[in-house]
Amino acid sequence: MAAAVGEVDNTIDIPGQRAALILGGHDFGSLTAAACAPWEAPRPPRAWYVAFTISVALLAVLGAMIFYLVFNGVGVWGLNNPAGWGFDITNFVFWVGIGHAGTLISAILFLFRQKWRTSINRFAEAMTIFAVICAGLFPGIHVGRIWLAYWLAPLPNQMGMWPNFRSPLLWDVFAVGTYATVSLMFWYVGMIPDLATFRDRAKTKWKQVIYGLLALGWTGSSRNWHRFERAYLILAALATPLVLSVHSVVSFDFAVSVLPGWHTSIFPPYFVAGAIFGGFAMVLTLAIPARALFGLKDIITPRHLENCCKILLLTGCMIGYAYLIEKFMAWYSGNSYEGFIFRARALGPYAWAYWTMIGCNVLAPQLFWFKWARTNLVAMFLVVMAVNVGMWFERFVIIVSSLSQDFLPSSWDIYHPSLVEILTLAGSFGLFLALFLLFCRFLPMIAMAEVKTVMPHADLHAHPHAHVAPHRAFDYNPDEFDAGRGGAAARRSPRGPS
Amino acid sequence: MNPNMPQSELSASRDFRRPAARVAGVACVVGIAGLAAGVASGYSAGWEVFFRSYLLNYSFVLSLALGALFFVLLQHLVRAGWSVSLRRLAEFAAGTLPVLALLFLPLVIPLWKGMPGVWMWSAPDVVAADPVLQAKAAYLNVPFFLARCAFYFLVWCVLARYYLHQSVAQDTDGQPRRTLAMQWWSAPGMLLYGLTVTFFAIDALMSLNPHWFSTIWGVYFFSGCLVGFFAFLALLVYLIQGRGQLASHITVEHYHDIGKLAFGFVVFWAYIAFSQYMLIWYANIPEETVWYLPRQGDTWWLSVSLLLLFGHFVAPFLALISRGPKRRPGLLALAAVWLLLMHWLDLYYIVTPRPSGFAAPAAPLHLTDLTLFVGLGGLFVAALVWPMTRWSLIPERDPRLPEALAFRNI
Repeated sequence: MAAAVGEVDNTIDIPGQRAALILGGHDFGSLTAAACAPWEAPRPPRAWYVAFTISVALLAVLGAMIFYLVFNGVGVWGLNNPAGWGFDITNFVFWVGIGHAGTLISAILFLFRQKWRTSINRFAEAMTIFAVICAGLFPGIHVGRIWLAYWLAPLPNQMGMWPNFRSPLLWDVFAVGTYATVSLMFWYVGMIPDLATFRDRAKTKWKQVIYGLLALGWTGSSRNWHRFERAYLILAALATPLVLSVHSVVSFDFAVSVLPGWHTSIFPPYFVAGAIFGGFAMVLTLAIPARALFGLKDIITPRHLENCCKILLLTGCMIGYAYLIEKFMAWYSGNSYEGFIFRARALGPYAWAYWTMIGCNVLAPQLFWFKWARTNLVAMFLVVMAVNVGMWFERFVIIVSSLSQDFLPSSWDIYHPSLVEILTLAGSFGLFLALFLLFCRFLPMIAMAEVKTVMPHADLHAHPHAHVAPHRAFDYNPDEFDAGRGGAAARRSPRGPS
Repeated sequence: MNPNMPQSELSASRDFRRPAARVAGVACVVGIAGLAAGVASGYSAGWEVFFRSYLLNYSFVLSLALGALFFVLLQHLVRAGWSVSLRRLAEFAAGTLPVLALLFLPLVIPLWKGMPGVWMWSAPDVVAADPVLQAKAAYLNVPFFLARCAFYFLVWCVLARYYLHQSVAQDTDGQPRRTLAMQWWSAPGMLLYGLTVTFFAIDALMSLNPHWFSTIWGVYFFSGCLVGFFAFLALLVYLIQGRGQLASHITVEHYHDIGKLAFGFVVFWAYIAFSQYMLIWYANIPEETVWYLPRQGDTWWLSVSLLLLFGHFVAPFLALISRGPKRRPGLLALAAVWLLLMHWLDLYYIVTPRPSGFAAPAAPLHLTDLTLFVGLGGLFVAALVWPMTRWSLIPERDPRLPEALAFRNI
């Protein structure tokens, strides 16, 4: 198969054995070298320059569009009287959603002991930060007089003016702000040992100083490691509820209203599932080219990609479930307005967007029921691109269709985005990709220290040449259990035979 | 299986057969006596009260079995290693589903016979007077309801039997392909599980107030099932270990993980319950607030609501957040008893209040609530323990059992 993901297939599962997560016969030294190679190379690959040029050009478009917006006001957008939210809030929700996968991988999969997370968590976390930056941009610029955007924050002032604490728009400020802060801390704290590796391998004075400062005096002593792991666990525990809370609060922006299609009680978990869905699609969108471009195929292996595909299938089914329940309840409730909006979405002026959403979000991931699709890069990439598109359209459908056709037909109006809005959306991808490309070049893209903990070499009981066996269990080998049986007996339950 | 492990240690559970048979026998007798007492007390209180109490306590035992089925499917779906030594107990708990399917019949036979049961939409005179119910009649009608329930129980029984039988067959032949087959079916099984549990929750519980609707309802019921199941699992392991069984197969590390999952689902339940409550409270639309109205309209139900808030969320949150209690089986078992009580209270809060405008019985809590708890609980325990007289308490030759035996938290 032309697009086979790798030479060694570590997606085969033998019960009782655990597949290797790192291929290519790496030991700790060669793994560090491979993970540092993108940074140590004298210059990045040509494709990086091409991608970076395009990204910066798009970023310039974003800057121009924002200037144009600020000087002219939000009238340059296609918003109209019923549809007061359009691309702006759609883009906000889209980017916040993408910002969920990183912290899910880092925090929740960490608590669930999913060892495969280590190969992809670092760049997924970076992606989270950059997506949240893109997301934060849109509420900021959509307020009209953006020089007063700081009024969103509850700042004490001589006018005695406070934001409305009962408004979910204010909760958003807190939710996204907290999420950005904790994600950034989590990302940075997790990166400290790897920054120290960069410091130690740096060849120039400047690099030594900069990475030395960033590494916070890391020495790699047991005391350093002990405190690092405590901090990491605590941050993971703090970040876990945040993964759920951020998009729940975003869903409240809609669901606390009385608008048909917005007000429904399943919104919080449905939005969270959708965010993870969209986030994982973006992880794969970036991982598939990045692993080829930077020679990371032994670290981000077919098994990692397959696992991401399974999560996409799972979360895709979850949002399919939410669509189904919403539709069913729209009928079951007997509420004619609810019934109307769901008919209008499927058959009305936005039907094209609705069916794009259904096709991309619900139907496309069903391909991942088949293993060939989960292990074929072309199929995988097509599906994740479909999901990227579908998740943007999901937010568009929710926001715009409910607004433009509300209770009174006399106030209906169809929303048409202006060119400025379309270019602003394109520009936000420029911001996202430019930041991501800079990250790939200047920061440790692979969590080297964490990856090493899931290699057989990290297992104290491993056979000296364990790494030559590709199927070697990474955490437990039944042969060793014989030797360690005394230990198991010593760990007997405190409630032994009475 | 690890060849060096003495057979006696893995099969220690064989000594358990006689006491298990005794427990199953006693539970069966107690269950039948409880049902008889329930019928007797229902006779004096009226059949409407009886069926409400029956549905309440039936939902309770069913939710434990459904939680167990989810656990079994999930462990295969994620190819878990740590939980293998716990899985058989969950398979036994899910294996009660065929018995529970039979115990569902008393609720649907009145519908079949055209008698008013617990669901008011099944009474033609109520529907005739109510345009909202007429609009829903395509879904809320007796034949379709019965067909749906038959489908739910068919799916659950087939899944539960399949996983139990594959697993015990592996005890004899040790075939890894059984593990692969169980993994293969776990994904479509999960899909079917999600849909059937959701629509069961809508049909059996949400339609008690047939005007009311909430899209999150299925997830709410599911989250309660999982809180109940993990509490029940902790308690079950504690009681079985108290009989000297499974001492080296289930360690404090497993208690710790059960505790973590119980904690996680307590928070998840609170998240779902809050999402539903807050959104309905905030929008304040009469057709939605109507469900909460009888639940906080008088002192009794307001107290129940607040007890749920503090007892189902705040107290277990504080009790289980730190490492200590999860690693002390006695304390965890205590928390489990409390959580089971709260899970029952949650179902009581769902099932018992009559919709606004319908005559409520004189007392909000009735003797039948207790007698039928004993009755259905006893039969559930009997159905759960009976297989323990035939089969091992752990999947003896599961290829991943060594991982579970050697499992340690960081």
